Amino acid sequence: MKNMISVVVVALLLAGVARAGQVVLLNVSYDPTRELYQEYNAAFAKYWKAKTGDDVTINQSHGGSGKQAQAVINGLEADVVTLALSYDIDMIAQQSKLLPVNWQSRLPDNSTPYTSTIVFLVRKGNPKGIKNWDDLVNPGVSVIVPNPKTSGGARWAYLAAYAYALETYGHDDAKARAFIARLYKNVPILDSGARGSTITFAQRGIGDVLLAWENEARLAQKEFSADNFEIVTPPLSILAEPPVAWVDKNTERHGTTEVAKAYLEYLYSDEGQEIAARNFYRPRNPAIAAKYAANFPKLKLVTVDSEFGGWAKAQKTHFADGGVFDQIYRPQ
Amino acid sequence: MNLKLWLLTGIAGTQFGSAALAQQTNAPAEDIQALKQEVQALEQKVDALERQQAAQNSPTQNQQSAQVRELDQKVRILERQRELDQQAAAEAAKTQPKITLDANGFSFSSANSNFIASLHGIIQVDSRTFLADGGGTAGKDTFLLRRARPIFTGTVFHDYDFNFTPDFGGSGVVVYDAYLNYHYSPAFQLEGGRFKSPVGLEALQVDSWISFNERSLVTDLVPNRDAGFELHGDLFSSAISYAAGIFNGAPDYITPPASTQAVDDDKAFEGRLFFQPLNTSDMGFLQGLGFGVGGSYEVDSGADLTSGYKTDGQQVFYSYTNGVVASGSHWRLSPQGYYYYGPFSVMGEYAISDQEVTRTTAPVASANLRNSAWEATVGWVLTGEDASYNGVTPLHPFDLHNRGWGAWQIVARYADLYIDDANFSRFATAGSASEAKAWSVGLNWYLNRDFRVDTSFSRTTFNGGGGAIGNGPVTAQPENVIFTRVQLAF
Repeated sequence: MKNMISVVVVALLLAGVARAGQVVLLNVSYDPTRELYQEYNAAFAKYWKAKTGDDVTINQSHGGSGKQAQAVINGLEADVVTLALSYDIDMIAQQSKLLPVNWQSRLPDNSTPYTSTIVFLVRKGNPKGIKNWDDLVNPGVSVIVPNPKTSGGARWAYLAAYAYALETYGHDDAKARAFIARLYKNVPILDSGARGSTITFAQRGIGDVLLAWENEARLAQKEFSADNFEIVTPPLSILAEPPVAWVDKNTERHGTTEVAKAYLEYLYSDEGQEIAARNFYRPRNPAIAAKYAANFPKLKLVTVDSEFGGWAKAQKTHFADGGVFDQIYRPQ
Repeated sequence: MNLKLWLLTGIAGTQFGSAALAQQTNAPAEDIQALKQEVQALEQKVDALERQQAAQNSPTQNQQSAQVRELDQKVRILERQRELDQQAAAEAAKTQPKITLDANGFSFSSANSNFIASLHGIIQVDSRTFLADGGGTAGKDTFLLRRARPIFTGTVFHDYDFNFTPDFGGSGVVVYDAYLNYHYSPAFQLEGGRFKSPVGLEALQVDSWISFNERSLVTDLVPNRDAGFELHGDLFSSAISYAAGIFNGAPDYITPPASTQAVDDDKAFEGRLFFQPLNTSDMGFLQGLGFGVGGSYEVDSGADLTSGYKTDGQQVFYSYTNGVVASGSHWRLSPQGYYYYGPFSVMGEYAISDQEVTRTTAPVASANLRNSAWEATVGWVLTGEDASYNGVTPLHPFDLHNRGWGAWQIVARYADLYIDDANFSRFATAGSASEAKAWSVGLNWYLNRDFRVDTSFSRTTFNGGGGAIGNGPVTAQPENVIFTRVQLAF
């Protein structure tokens, strides 16, 4: 009997040893970052293996940023969240207490290792002559953009358009609201996320212009042939700052806190910044940003803080139930 | 252009005719030049007319193209919206609870299957008619609600099962089963609560699938239900099944509402090992072979003994006299087995219940009593369906419109229970028999998987026992009983 117990104990220990050095992370991300994290995950795994000898596997989940945040609140056990806007991670912190409310101060640049903006993707030849935001409200122009209730990119696009209207109409909110209402009257269909809208525009051939993340527009050109589409960078757009965070309660439960932190910190490394730039995200690193400057046209970028008083206020005013978006948008 | 060509041809023809006429009439060169100028003017007019006609046609074609483009976009939008609606519906379905109602009962489950609850049930309506009893069983012919049990089962978070089974068939509500089961894997499960003891093969068979209305004499000697904890599992695709547990300890086959509360600190160890070594082999005729052994061991300190051993007709033919208690070791051993092949079935079991007893009333005495029993049951499904330990499923459920007759099975059984002779000097009540032998034949009709109608006859004869006819002892004459049963089980 004792011998049997000893054999069992030794077997369990050996099994434990065999399993040491294998880590699995779940990265819950927003919709258009598939290609970015496919490349980045491979690079990080190589780096981590060289540094620690451990194998790390990163599983990805993608979807509209708001939907993804809700999924984490409802129990999706993300080790890290890499979402489209800080408000969505704030919601996770406030509603589920899975990470502290001061999460954004734990990594540099308010936990945003890269930035982006909203541009226009149009058909080759730009048949509708779309150059600026006010061209989007012309009759006969069909605009494709995701649903701001679920998509972070859609909220950035909405706020970019609204910011343009505020700048144009001397910060007259009523006129800006009328402008945004006209714009969304030209939106025939709302996908739940940025990738869905890209499919609608590029694959299904619907619409005259796609309001897209800058990286998504570049990827659409790359994937569906640059001969079919053109990118129009408006003179003014919004500085989109997609944040990242590790989810403390989940990483503590999984024993993955150290590797989750390192995973996010590596986004700020030279290799992480190069990968971001190659995937058409604007890197924070000035040297690398300069290296890829040709890929990122200069334009006036306004911020959520300066134009709308921050995300909490913008969310409450525009995207909460009964907010401005609900008032101006009616499905066609 | 066709118009132009026609006009020019006409004009040319006219001119040639004119030229010919001029030659014939010798017209001057000035006339020819004038004619040429007229032709040029006419050509210009034709060109202007064609341009005018083209300008009138273009807006219509442009409008049509624009309409086609607009319609195309609308169709694409509708198709895409439908696609998105389908995706949304599929996403929503992932969070919707699932409800099923079928032959296996009613169940509902959360979308992620973390919470599953099921309702099953069994209702058995019996009749017992005693024959040729010489008045010994007068007043015992009866209809009865043998079992009326809603069975609540479920699983939470994939690994934690529960079962709660009350019975409403008797004079009051009795909880038969109430247990929790953690299943780490099919090979490793831990069960705790009140449930069937892992000893007797016939006792462990589900109530809805036993061959006759009542279990045989051999089941009198094994424990029924007990409270405790049991480690159990199936290994190698159920080629080996094991169960080992610690329980309060129960007398021979007592049925609720008799309590299984512990009356002393001693606990019973009960276990079973069962083999179906060829259940996945290519030898089809041996796949249904199973054999094993169950047993129990406990040391009692004044615990109650069985309320009595019963016949098929549920009459007590042996009981301990007042003041006799279990005192000392009590072990059971039950080698058992079955074989199923197509419509054929045979099941057999042998049981020993070795009990140390003490009579606490005068004359005080102690003894080690060894009672034993065996049984063999054979069956044949006349309609050809496969027989199994878990019942018969008709290939053609009963349906008069579609000429479905269900499944029909004939069954026969022989059982013998032998009481240790040492019982009879001091420990048995008057009228108790020293041996009971029973044979039974029956016909079972499975209308469908859930509904069943049975009829059978059972005759039990006794050695020893007897007593004054006037006292109406069971053992004064053989017991002859006709049983019928109507059963719904799901």
